[in-house]
Amino acid sequence: MTKILIATTALVGALAGPLSAETIGVSIPAATHGWAGALNFHAERTIAHLEEVYPDLDFVLATTPDSATQVSDLEDMVATRGIDALVVLPFESEPLTGPIQRIAESGTWVTVVDRGLSVEGIETLYVAGDNDSFGRTAGQYFADTLDDGAKVVVMRGIPSTVDNERVAGFEEAIDGSGIEVLAMDHGNWNRDTAFTLMQDWLSRFPQIDAVWAADDDMAVGALAAIEQAGRTGEMIVVGGAGMKEMVDRIRNGDATVPVNVTYPPSMISTAIEMTAVGVTGAAPMSGEFIIASELITPENAADYYFEDSPY
Amino acid sequence: MADPILSLNGVSKSFGPIEVLHGVDFELRPGEIHALIGENGAGKSTTMKILGGYIDASGGEIRWQGQPVSFASSEEAEARGIVMIHQEFNLAEHLGVDQNVFLGRELKRGWRLDHAAMRGRAAALLDQLECHIDPSARVAGLSVPAKQMVEIAKALSRDLRVLIMDEPTAVLTERDCEILFRQIERLREQGVAILYTSHKLSEVKRICDRVSVLRDGVMVRSAKVAEITEDEMAAAMVGRELSDLYPAKAVPADEVMLEVEGLSVPGLIAEASLTLRRGEVLGIGGLVGAGRTELAEAIAGLRPRSGEVRLMGRTLPAGQVKTAMERGLVYLTEDRKGAGLLLDKSLRENLTLPLLHRFGRVLIDRRAEEAALDKAIADFAIRAPDREMPVGNLSGGNQQKLLLAKTLLSEPQVILIDEPTRGIDIGTKQQIYTLIAELAAAGHAIIVISSEMPELIGLASRVLVMHAGRIVGALDGDAVNEGAIVRLAMGLGESNGEAAA
Amino acid sequence: MTMATTQNNTGRTRGGLNLQVIGPIVALIALVLIGMALNSNFLSYANITNVLARSAFIGIIAVGMTFVITAGGLDLSVGSMAAFVAGLMILVMNQLTTSLGVSLPVILLGIALALVAGLVAGLINGILITRVGIEAFIVTLGTMGIYRSLITWLADGGTLSLGFEMRELYRPVYYGGIAGISWPIIAFVVVAVLGEVVMRHTAFGRHCAAIGSNEKVARYSSIPVARVKLATYVLLGLLVGFAVVMYVPRLGSASASTGLLWELEAIAAVIIGGTLLKGGFGRVWGTVVGVLILSLIGNLLNLTDFVSPYLNGAIQGAVIILAVVLQRKGGTER
Repeated sequence: MTKILIATTALVGALAGPLSAETIGVSIPAATHGWAGALNFHAERTIAHLEEVYPDLDFVLATTPDSATQVSDLEDMVATRGIDALVVLPFESEPLTGPIQRIAESGTWVTVVDRGLSVEGIETLYVAGDNDSFGRTAGQYFADTLDDGAKVVVMRGIPSTVDNERVAGFEEAIDGSGIEVLAMDHGNWNRDTAFTLMQDWLSRFPQIDAVWAADDDMAVGALAAIEQAGRTGEMIVVGGAGMKEMVDRIRNGDATVPVNVTYPPSMISTAIEMTAVGVTGAAPMSGEFIIASELITPENAADYYFEDSPY
Repeated sequence: MADPILSLNGVSKSFGPIEVLHGVDFELRPGEIHALIGENGAGKSTTMKILGGYIDASGGEIRWQGQPVSFASSEEAEARGIVMIHQEFNLAEHLGVDQNVFLGRELKRGWRLDHAAMRGRAAALLDQLECHIDPSARVAGLSVPAKQMVEIAKALSRDLRVLIMDEPTAVLTERDCEILFRQIERLREQGVAILYTSHKLSEVKRICDRVSVLRDGVMVRSAKVAEITEDEMAAAMVGRELSDLYPAKAVPADEVMLEVEGLSVPGLIAEASLTLRRGEVLGIGGLVGAGRTELAEAIAGLRPRSGEVRLMGRTLPAGQVKTAMERGLVYLTEDRKGAGLLLDKSLRENLTLPLLHRFGRVLIDRRAEEAALDKAIADFAIRAPDREMPVGNLSGGNQQKLLLAKTLLSEPQVILIDEPTRGIDIGTKQQIYTLIAELAAAGHAIIVISSEMPELIGLASRVLVMHAGRIVGALDGDAVNEGAIVRLAMGLGESNGEAAA
Repeated sequence: MTMATTQNNTGRTRGGLNLQVIGPIVALIALVLIGMALNSNFLSYANITNVLARSAFIGIIAVGMTFVITAGGLDLSVGSMAAFVAGLMILVMNQLTTSLGVSLPVILLGIALALVAGLVAGLINGILITRVGIEAFIVTLGTMGIYRSLITWLADGGTLSLGFEMRELYRPVYYGGIAGISWPIIAFVVVAVLGEVVMRHTAFGRHCAAIGSNEKVARYSSIPVARVKLATYVLLGLLVGFAVVMYVPRLGSASASTGLLWELEAIAAVIIGGTLLKGGFGRVWGTVVGVLILSLIGNLLNLTDFVSPYLNGAIQGAVIILAVVLQRKGGTER
């Protein structure tokens, strides 16, 4: 697997030359939760930036609440806007594979983001975060820092492939470290659900040394429950995806929240910029770009803090 | 005489701890019309429902062609050719007439519905009934008598052995009654056994062969119709001799209580005017659909209207039921079950519903409510086995008395009563007539709307007749007679309406 | 059919205590016993407080929903409405903090705003339903989508959070209390008791039941039908606002996923409690029991391991259906 972290400034620099007029369609899920909100934020910001710098480039952005709407959005883009390239974060893999395949076969450039299609080789470019690495990084941190026999609870997301990959990575990383997983349940990437779940776990287990919440929204809920129970200091909480508030706590050296794991929503910026470069022929672009999860620590937290991001 | 096809032997029925039928014997024979009469609450409906397979008997035996049977459901009874036509129609309002006639037994060609055949058969059945409605029309849009005809067509479409009819003429006009009687006659000749209930004893005398009388769940008399008079039937039902049905009429005072001038309801009432005096009982006659109910509802504020209504000299605003009630005018609906009472609520809750603000300031004073109910039960002679029971389980007569008590609770001066005795027994009828006369004598002003001629003639000192949304005539004193009312109601010989009075 | 059921009702009213009345309570007691058997911490002060306090939001909303449903209506918008009101409240409180500083007036203004916003939202639903005459289901389905979008838009797709210092000041409204009983529990009890009294002992409650039972009869009995129905939606809106006042101090944030499916939980609680979905009969204490049943199921599943977390929804669904079936059995023997 190629693991390349691409500096966006370098990419945009490659676009310096004269460009032909191209239309790029961007289709992403609607901002129904924090991470998707940040995705929208980054997509809009990148598009505005590119349109300003390169007036010849034209963008069509569509956000979608479900798979069926996304399919119609794609059909509209092809039929009425005559897009030359498509950047798509499929709402679900299975239902979108067919429609995207047809678009690719018609000669349109296709960049798939984050959620892979169920048939390989359709897309020109694949840009994704690494869910396995997301779980593995957190698990590795636990294995490295927690004592043998430490007790942890795990808050999973909404049952899905993404969630399964993250948890599998986490479990492999702690395997053999002597860490005991007391309980594992779905917090559905939701603050309120996570709060209730954590309350009940605190009633149930007299000793918890660490909480892994597979998303920062859930970590916020868990932290509130721990504070209410007056058990702050007994355990650490590790979330994921680099929410502003969490990064801020790490930056300030909060003992309960020592680290965080990235799953950058800015990958959509990378994908759009790479597509712009590729489709205009400014530089050759193809293949897979997997963005591995990084561990945010008090030392590097400042680099991951974006003041005006909604997330 | 033919052997009985369906019979009850010592059948009893209890609901919970209350036994409502006590060892009833009853026989239906092919080719015979058997009338079952009795006061409301006497057990007629229960008897019919046991015969029709709708409910089980608690004791005794049901025999079909001499053999004991028990019907698991009404479908099982229907499969044997026993069909019951309910007082409340069993029609799917949103389906067409033909679809209703064949509901559950649709004609098919292969796996597809055979619409043409069903429509054709339905049309033939309706023709037989001299009922000229389009078989494809939606039932919801039909008049009440037309719906009754659809029910009868539905029964006729089956292989009919026993037909049970629960007060079929209660909602029919005279003309439709004649058609119905001809159909019943025809079915009798075909050897169908017919059970017929009615509160109209003249009907029973005219069309039935045999009559059985139920009183308080006991079969008190069974005789050939030829051998019993109407008075004897009534006496058997009530258990005592009935004195004159209608009390003496009060003499109206001069004081005008209600004036209506040029009242119109778009499409329903045109330019109706009337005057009502203290102590007067004013009758309003006319055919079903002539606009009588609509006129009363418009006066009471239940319908938008134009024109002027003055109550005791003060103008009453349109469309405000509550204001009308507060100023002393109330309307008692003809639709007891649909608009009068909450069938799933207790007597107390129904009684005080329009006047809750008089029972306690913020919290409802339950004791005051109970006291009001005690008084209503005593004043109106309401018979209820249990005060907390839902009023839907009361007999029609007791429901009507409760509705009267509820309507009169606000102590109104002007009372509009629509069909005061529809579907109730003769004993209760007499009580209600007496009550109306007493109210008038006490200085109330009353309008009585009725489809029963004797009722209008017996109660009202003056009768207005409506036809097609207009008041077409006023009859006074000796001029109030059946012939004159019918002439006006049919639209013959228009007089000058209220001006003539 | 009509005959059979009405006749059976006679038996019900004579029976006194029967399943229809005690069904939900039996279910609740059964859940408590199961909880005691499974985990010794179940009856601990902390766990009981947690369960009751977290029931408060949906409980307060469900009390209002009982009136709406009793009067023959329905409101699907309450979850989205709660999210929107919470978002609005946080935004305005953050704005006010800049001018008024971290102070009590900001909290009081925020609370007033939440109550007024809830009331207005309820009024809008009510007016569209009673004056414009659109089906309650359609109106509230529409406003459900509108409020959900508005909160997403207000939050820019992310999360709206109360300023940190403000959150610390407001926090005791959820976590504090008197005599060891936390405020949300006290608020829930007060709303429930008032609701029960209003439903059972005032003209308004009686009118709601009459309208739900037969709107035409109510109209003919000179009840101001439109005004009473409107009032039920306004009351519900106000209670949504009140629930938000309790909700915001808990996590100090609102997002597009706040209040998700609260409307269905509230409706389920109302029905489990024995209120008829078609209207005509409602009881507030039943609704309270329904809310507690739903909360306890979630709590029990979290406290134990014996059911796969994938099946949580199935257990909840089964209990809801079972609770309603129990009542049917008690009511009419079919």
